[in-house]
Amino acid sequence: MKVPLAKLFIAFVEVGLVAFGGGGNAQLYQALVLRRGWMAEREFLETTALCRILPGPVFANTAAHLGMRLGGVAGGVLALLGVLTPGALLMLFLSFAYFRFGAVPGSLAESALNGVAAAAIGLILATMLRQAPIALDALKAVGLALGVFVTYGLLHWPLLLVLLLFVPVGMALYWQEAAEAWPGAEVEPRG
Amino acid sequence: MAEALEVFLAFLRFGVLSFGGGMANLPEMARVIISNGWVTGQQFADGFALGQFVPGPNMLAVLFYGLSAAGMPGALAALLGMFMPGAVGAMWLVKGWAWMARARWSRALRKALVPISMGLSASMVLVLIQLGVDGLGWFALMAAATWLIYRGVNVVWVIGGGAALGLLAALLVQ
Repeated sequence: MKVPLAKLFIAFVEVGLVAFGGGGNAQLYQALVLRRGWMAEREFLETTALCRILPGPVFANTAAHLGMRLGGVAGGVLALLGVLTPGALLMLFLSFAYFRFGAVPGSLAESALNGVAAAAIGLILATMLRQAPIALDALKAVGLALGVFVTYGLLHWPLLLVLLLFVPVGMALYWQEAAEAWPGAEVEPRG
Repeated sequence: MAEALEVFLAFLRFGVLSFGGGMANLPEMARVIISNGWVTGQQFADGFALGQFVPGPNMLAVLFYGLSAAGMPGALAALLGMFMPGAVGAMWLVKGWAWMARARWSRALRKALVPISMGLSASMVLVLIQLGVDGLGWFALMAAATWLIYRGVNVVWVIGGGAALGLLAALLVQ
């Protein structure tokens, strides 16, 4: 389905305005599938699953991909700009304020930010806890996760090296299962 | 301008390498930009925290890091470097997706990325704790937030509550 570029941009700006706390893909689903009916549910789910193999923020990638489907290259660029612009403007404003006023250790702002950081780590941990039963359902999965954590998190190996090592090993371990018919039920990591 | 280019190249590298979610490369990003002198450890954690206040991808925190490194051009350079590789790939995928969905290697890759992302997330939590959580109180707050979000309490409230408790803690200490 092709959508006029102005409408498309507005839809993605709306998503960019309300996508707090890493719920971007759910907001895209609301805006594009449920409210506007621009895309079938199945098509949406298949494409978002696919966008996960790309590097970078999953939510932004998904937006660019869906935008291009709905409005060509211009649609893709506008969709990306749409989801980034509201948050980027606010982030710039907050950053300027931080470097101008808030960088004093022991200040109120610093303490509030420590609280936010602690809560945000809680968000990542909670997401991991929810995904763990599905994501770590086999010994090979636990082994892969542990291997990545030890080399990258504890031993501080460069990410490139870690990926070059564990991605091929992981693909080999899952090669057999990958023969099953598309689409498989998959966990929905946070983007 | 040379500085902004340096920032762009650094974040382009983070952008290209961040498989398994945009924040997967946070530990390496922290190591590199702190050792480059672009931010201090505390500033890195603060920038990450500010990123929670804005809608959109959490990685908008790169604007903060870019701004600290090289001013406004640096902020834009960091944003472009971080988001461009994935977005270009995602747009290219519109052409190749039917083929890609059927390809066995792409399914194997997606299955493998799930546990690998878990390992990357665990590394990310570790580095964030090292940089931003000093003291038992913050640790307790982190545990409480984990539990609340796990039980389904709205993320926005929990993050806001963290800010309020942080403020309160500072007021009580003074």
